[in-house]
Amino acid sequence: MSDLLANLWLGFSVAANPFNIGFCLVGALVGTLVGVLPGIGTVATVAMLLPITFGLPPVGALIMLAGIYYGAQYGGSTTSILVNIPGEATSVVTCLDGHQMARQGRAGPALSIAAIGSFFAGCVATVLVAALGAPLTTIALLFGPAEYFSLMLLGLIFAVVLAKGSVVKSIAMVLAGLLLSMVGSDLETGAGRMTFDYPELADGIGFTNVAMGVFGFAEIIRNLEMSQESRDIVQSKITGLMPTRQDLIDSSGAIARGTVIGSLLGILPGGGAVVSSFAAYTFEKRISKHPERFGRGAIQGVAAPEAANNAASQTSFIPLLTLGIPPNAVMALMVGAMTIHGIVPGPQVMVKQPDLFWGMIASMWIGNLMLVIINLPLVGVWVSLLRVPYRLLFPSIIVFCCIGIYSINNAPTDVVIAAVFGLFGYWLVKHDFEPAPLVLAFVLGPLMEENLRRAMLIARGDASVFLTRPISAGLILIALGMLALAMLPMIKKRRDEVFVESEN
Amino acid sequence: MAEGAKPSPSGDGLRLRIKGPRDFYGGLVLIGLAGIAVWASSDLPGLQGFSFGPGTAPRMFAGCLAAVGALIALTGLFVEGPKVEAFAIRGPAYVLVAILFFAGTIRGVSFDVFGLTIVLPTLGLVASTFIAFMISIFGSSEFRWRESLLAAVAMTLFCVLLFVYLLQLPFQLWPQF
Repeated sequence: MSDLLANLWLGFSVAANPFNIGFCLVGALVGTLVGVLPGIGTVATVAMLLPITFGLPPVGALIMLAGIYYGAQYGGSTTSILVNIPGEATSVVTCLDGHQMARQGRAGPALSIAAIGSFFAGCVATVLVAALGAPLTTIALLFGPAEYFSLMLLGLIFAVVLAKGSVVKSIAMVLAGLLLSMVGSDLETGAGRMTFDYPELADGIGFTNVAMGVFGFAEIIRNLEMSQESRDIVQSKITGLMPTRQDLIDSSGAIARGTVIGSLLGILPGGGAVVSSFAAYTFEKRISKHPERFGRGAIQGVAAPEAANNAASQTSFIPLLTLGIPPNAVMALMVGAMTIHGIVPGPQVMVKQPDLFWGMIASMWIGNLMLVIINLPLVGVWVSLLRVPYRLLFPSIIVFCCIGIYSINNAPTDVVIAAVFGLFGYWLVKHDFEPAPLVLAFVLGPLMEENLRRAMLIARGDASVFLTRPISAGLILIALGMLALAMLPMIKKRRDEVFVESEN
Repeated sequence: MAEGAKPSPSGDGLRLRIKGPRDFYGGLVLIGLAGIAVWASSDLPGLQGFSFGPGTAPRMFAGCLAAVGALIALTGLFVEGPKVEAFAIRGPAYVLVAILFFAGTIRGVSFDVFGLTIVLPTLGLVASTFIAFMISIFGSSEFRWRESLLAAVAMTLFCVLLFVYLLQLPFQLWPQF
């Protein structure tokens, strides 16, 4: 206990240095500003802003990056809620209910709850990382390739269960996403796979291209064909930026549960942060007395995934700093930044550079606080984005997406690929296919294949290894159980929908 | 309330009516995608002993996708479902042209189409952004000249300030021939 307090004290004394607070503040502001741009997600924002931190001292640079990360994440949630364009997989879930709330004129409460939920989750996760950092890594150490594979399978099943339409169609989307992720060089042999001999495809299809195409461009194309009235609903009267007492009461449980789920899943390496927001949302929907409200503007559907997402991204520092495995794309960028400053992520950071380790943990908490302090008053500014008529907003989004995609690699081909995925996404919507499982599968695909191959090799080609190792078997059982649960009411729900339609 | 796989009584007896076209064609396209994947990965080596080759996983998942696609298509064949919505042409066309225009002119490209070599000049960030904005805005049915031009100028200015001056990203600003 005294260790914990001493460590936190060390961290806060580093982070509370006025320069470091300044770096954190600037990072959070700039991160929000860029992250709020439609179509530019957390990864793209952090990648774009990475160079501005190179001139700072290591601790300051990492603190500023943490600020940028949180700002970008919050900005991304804002865009998801206001314009329904998630920049990355974790904010896909926020779109579902957040955008519906915005359509009902409740964009303000949705944004505030997102910030409050994130802040609460950040507070809890900070203490959790400080207290459990070392002992909890033993759990992560139990994971072999078979367990990693089963864990990611579970994540994909979550995505299938979460999707709105038919379960079979969502499974098809998962498979399509996995296939798409395999385009490019093979991990082990380097052989070009399904590249059709285009050198541009040798590195695979970029995640941002797929995400911006399927979500950004496809959404715009689809919005264009809707009538003017249905679009104006999103822009009509926004009353009350602050959440009501009822909102806070409704969402408090969801925030607490999201924090717990996110903290636990974030520790597991391999896409924990992505899975956690899906998991938290699905869990809320399952235990809710009114599951039919989800997807139609339930405040719990915003609070739970935002809290989980934030808790997970905080606890995901545990695998990074103890095992040296970046659990997601943002963490991979953090590794890059650390290496530039001469820090090798791994167990030795906690021992050799305690001021850096604990300073960063503390600055995450401060970054979260900044977001609440800066962004709650600024919610009005973000909401005013809605007042721009759609006929002027959509070309802006297109141009932004184009520049954003191009700037990541300075590659015009990436823009073309995103356009192709835009058309593909439009087609998917016309045939009632949900793009969210496809994108998640696309992110998890490479890791999943790698671990599948490794597990099969270790087991000497015996596929039963996934069921004989207890943790892996447990994860697969949970996945199958979720699938079975989703299949049963689905038949009934579908009939209800047909029934409702025939009444009109 | 017709259940089962009987062809509709009004149709000619031999032809099976597609009851859920949205699912049916969706499933067919997925089978096609799986077919392309199998074909594209057919040159890759497969299983070698216990070890997955580069081609094993793509073929495995493509096989699964084809199976699920077939299931969806069959559902569409036998279960009553919604029609395929009409695809809009105007909006997607303008948006697509705008995106391709931006991609083609931000740095300039040359490519061959049916033996013809097409060379697009480098227009740079300012011109590409402005023109791409103006092309895409035509995709909307409520187009007005004055506000569109104003918005395009404002947007171009904002993008240049943000990406070039604030973020210091390496962009070619002005046309270069």
